[in-house]
Amino acid sequence: MWELKEYRFAASAQEAVALMRQGPGTGAYIAGGTDMFLHPAECDFVVDINHAGLSDIARTPAGDLFLGAATTLHNIATNPLVADFAEGMLIEAAAHCGNRPVRSTATIGGNICNALPSADMAPVLLALDATCYIADADSQESLPLVDFFVGPRATVLEDRLLVGLALPAEAGTRRCASYKLTRSAEDISLVHVCVALGIEDGKIETARIALGAVAPVPMRAVLAEAQLVGQSVTEISPDLIADAAAIAAGECEPLDDHRASAEYRRDMVRVLTRRQILRALHDETTITKDSGGTVA
Amino acid sequence: MKIEMELNGRPVAHEIAPGGNLLSVLREIGQFSVKLGCETGDCGSCTVLLDGEPVNSCVVAAARAHGHQITTLEGLLGDPLMKELQHEMVVKGAVQCGYCSPGMLISLYAHFKASGDLSEHALREALTGNLCRCTGYVKQLEAAQTVADNRQNESGGAS
Repeated sequence: MWELKEYRFAASAQEAVALMRQGPGTGAYIAGGTDMFLHPAECDFVVDINHAGLSDIARTPAGDLFLGAATTLHNIATNPLVADFAEGMLIEAAAHCGNRPVRSTATIGGNICNALPSADMAPVLLALDATCYIADADSQESLPLVDFFVGPRATVLEDRLLVGLALPAEAGTRRCASYKLTRSAEDISLVHVCVALGIEDGKIETARIALGAVAPVPMRAVLAEAQLVGQSVTEISPDLIADAAAIAAGECEPLDDHRASAEYRRDMVRVLTRRQILRALHDETTITKDSGGTVA
Repeated sequence: MKIEMELNGRPVAHEIAPGGNLLSVLREIGQFSVKLGCETGDCGSCTVLLDGEPVNSCVVAAARAHGHQITTLEGLLGDPLMKELQHEMVVKGAVQCGYCSPGMLISLYAHFKASGDLSEHALREALTGNLCRCTGYVKQLEAAQTVADNRQNESGGAS
């Protein structure tokens, strides 16, 4: 039993922050609660944000995508406004997070704020240059998601509230491919690789390689990304892609645990990054040929 | 604290602990179809509908039910779709020890109510999060497939 003294409901983001600071004692925000009941926060009260107006999904006329922090993963996985964004990489990730009843209540904000290195939505959002919107008592600030995580289960938030995430329209047009390596479909990831390539005039203008479960925080392999920028989509050499993948494997900092060894995780970063770059470039034939018929 | 919810169509008020889960409250008030299995959101035996969406009641705060509609298997016993699902589960031998059956039934009920997708993939997706240690899952899928086929035949006959 979770020894809470009080369960508070907030009707807005500002009220949530005020209720959090009101005391007595310490508090925590709660939305879906699927992780909170597994790892109850040591606190006196919780502030429920399910009715704080943070559950919207919206597209601006320019094509930017906004996801409210309390939006459930099921809503993201089934919302037509998200379906075509980034070649469906976002809905794919949301649809394979946990299982169906978990996705009914688990929220994208919760997945990010729990800040597990293996958070399923984090690498996808990193690869698409997500911006976090954070509410204080009477102000709001934004910062890139890449600066949001400070360690395992630690973020920059303190007692402030994540209200939503925005993804730029440009990211929605990138060529994307991702792969989540797990022991079983519902287990947390061993290695998660998301690749998003912005193409202009036949060249890779923007490259994003985001990795989950292989460092203290979800991370970008920026050195590997730099290898790809400026390359021609049709003439990029397989060796250069293999090099970029090897660099990504060098950039990550995996740990040994009961799920997999650090050595295995690092090698899987190399293998999966190379395949996802090829898939993002829509080069399915090469991958099939060179991985013995199994496309990962 | 006191919550007021609509349980199976009837208003219910109940005194709860602020840190309690919905599962224990529902059992306290006699909804014994809601089973305690893993209490970690993995097994599905405590699945109920929260405003029509299937949720694991073990990882949903009881307080969250305040002002919302909760549906358990007890509330669907007279429902034609639920009767059909139950019938097919029995006919196909999908009920052995029975512990997972309420969760499986609620999950399938939610799927058929909300989605017209009758593909095998969709039915498998709908059953994710429900562990069964007796059957190996094939029988539940066969039961779901039969109900899906009945839907298909009905809509085929109407057009």
